[in-house]
Amino acid sequence: MNGSFNKEPLREEPMLSVRDLHVRFSTSKGLVHAVRGVSFDLGRERLGIVGESGSGKSQTGRALLRLTAGNGRIEAEKLMFSGMDLMHANARTMRNIRGSRISMIMQDPKYSLNPVLTVGAQIAESCRRHENIPRTEAKKRALSMLDTVHIREPEKVYSLYPHQVSGGMGQRIMIAMMLITNPDVMIADEPTSALDVTVQMQVLSLLDDMVRERGMGLVLISHDLQLVSSFCDRVLVMYGGRIMETLDAKRLDEAQHPYTRGLLNCLPRLDGRHDDLPVLERDPAWLAQPSDASGVFEQ
Amino acid sequence: MIDINDFSITFGSGKNQIQAVKNFNLSVAEGESFGLVGESGSGKSTVLRAMVGIYSHWTGTIRIDGQPIAHKRTPASRKHMQMVFQDPYGSLHPRRTVDATLSEPLIIHGMDKREERVLKILGEVGLGPEYRFRYPHQLSGGQRQRVAIARALILEPRVILLDEPTSALDVSVQAEILNLLSALRKAHGLTYVMVSHDLAVVGHLCSRIAVMNRGVVVEEMSEDQMRTGDLKHEYTRQLWTASHGYDRKALAGFKEIA
Ligand SMILES: Nc1ncnc2c1ncn2[C@@H]1O[C@H](COP(=O)(O)OP(=O)(O)O)[C@@H](O)[C@H]1O
Ligand SMILES: Nc1ncnc2c1ncn2[C@@H]1O[C@H](COP(=O)(O)OP(=O)(O)O)[C@@H](O)[C@H]1O
Ligand SMILES: [Mg+2]
Ligand SMILES: [Mg+2]
Repeated sequence: MNGSFNKEPLREEPMLSVRDLHVRFSTSKGLVHAVRGVSFDLGRERLGIVGESGSGKSQTGRALLRLTAGNGRIEAEKLMFSGMDLMHANARTMRNIRGSRISMIMQDPKYSLNPVLTVGAQIAESCRRHENIPRTEAKKRALSMLDTVHIREPEKVYSLYPHQVSGGMGQRIMIAMMLITNPDVMIADEPTSALDVTVQMQVLSLLDDMVRERGMGLVLISHDLQLVSSFCDRVLVMYGGRIMETLDAKRLDEAQHPYTRGLLNCLPRLDGRHDDLPVLERDPAWLAQPSDASGVFEQ
Repeated sequence: MIDINDFSITFGSGKNQIQAVKNFNLSVAEGESFGLVGESGSGKSTVLRAMVGIYSHWTGTIRIDGQPIAHKRTPASRKHMQMVFQDPYGSLHPRRTVDATLSEPLIIHGMDKREERVLKILGEVGLGPEYRFRYPHQLSGGQRQRVAIARALILEPRVILLDEPTSALDVSVQAEILNLLSALRKAHGLTYVMVSHDLAVVGHLCSRIAVMNRGVVVEEMSEDQMRTGDLKHEYTRQLWTASHGYDRKALAGFKEIA
């Protein structure tokens, strides 16, 4: 499966295929329809999901791993991962897929790391869960992975607890933990939002390496359209649980949808000027239109 | 309006001691908007917090409008300089209505015509009178930040310190808040010092920017330099490049700045 692959995304054979995905939550105030008919394919590429808070990005990502909260229900015409039907996979199959074939980096590293285990032990354990190797070998790999994610003193950091590391370091540790299992697909939910721009770029370059060198498929969730399009191959723009538009990242300036244009225009620019920023005018009609499905490969 | 000379501050002691800010100088004219940018932990918030008297164990001098400020601030001196924080959730009391939040500083400073002042300031930050008796949980993130700005403005200060005022907001809401801050500065002739890790945000509101790294200002940037990227210090150049998006080639040349 991991034979030869091109540098160009393999459009003809998606690893992940999603059709008409819906996520609904029942709450005391009624039904929340968080994801409304999302369809896309993922190849060995960098796919961005962009939108403002509440647009359904995280819930789309979590549904792919069936990690939706207990009060939520997933429906989809199709949810396939390399020949497996994720909609009907049993709990054991899902457990095997999670964290070894599809990994997810959650928005907040502090909640995703176990507070009572050293970070090194967690990375090593993640490695051992995936592959049956001796402890010493797992430790060696964990240390080298810490080095890969640009942690300066891996030996020292290995024995620190999560509360002893900074947010930026915590996020890189999370990424190390996810990458050590060599997943086919990585879903990264705002992996760099808590980081400084320069560190943010370094983390993105690690994910970039995984896509280029190991043919991983990456779903990068973010609110930063500018950043995502400078990094990804394609971008899905979400609003109100729907895909408004699917963009070729290199052609951001050709974006058609007024929501996409609005998101771009309202960003401050480094042009030394201080004119008022255009504000985003929302049109209720956007919520009535069906999800854009141009992100699927076969058409 | 603001003059800071040789400001330094240290936290902790023994081997945990860290010098958060070293030999910091700053000079901001009345009505000017000055920016401080740098990675997290570089000492930006510490400077603002010392200015409003949250920290008192610093060395050096801080002058506001020619008057040196004491290490412990008096209510009178606080009135002229107010701060807006990043987190619009944490900075408002969850069980206080907008009215109570805005009236409190008026009561402390013994100011009259409270109802009139509250309604006027709400209007100025773009919230109608219908927001007056709402609680924070009944407001969106952007509306909460408007309330926080109203609270800072209600004492009619001359200087506003802004600590990452839009970092927790969506980009569309950020644009609205930046426009509001800009309009308020013009209308009241306010002097701003704004802190952010986002160079574009600071560059939008400010005409001069100091770049901090590990407690020291490494370079000051003009509007021209924001545009052209003609910068001297390695860290400033990296920050400028990274602020323009992902660039794999440029990244390969990045160095850890010690
Ligand atoms: N467990 C839940 N119960 C009810 N509503 C939820 C739950 N989880 C998420 N939501 C709602 O789903 C919508 C989409 O959320 P999310 O996918 O997290 O947005 P984003 O990641 O784009 O900010 C939001 O309106 C959110 O409030
Ligand atoms: N109250 C405090 N006690 C101990 N250390 C502090 C305190 N406040 C700030 N620091 C330290 O001072 C340095 C600068 O922090 P800060 O000014 O908050 O940075 P920034 O706002 O640029 O992110 C950091 O290393 C931080 O840990
Ligand atoms: Mg989210
Ligand atoms: Mg700060």
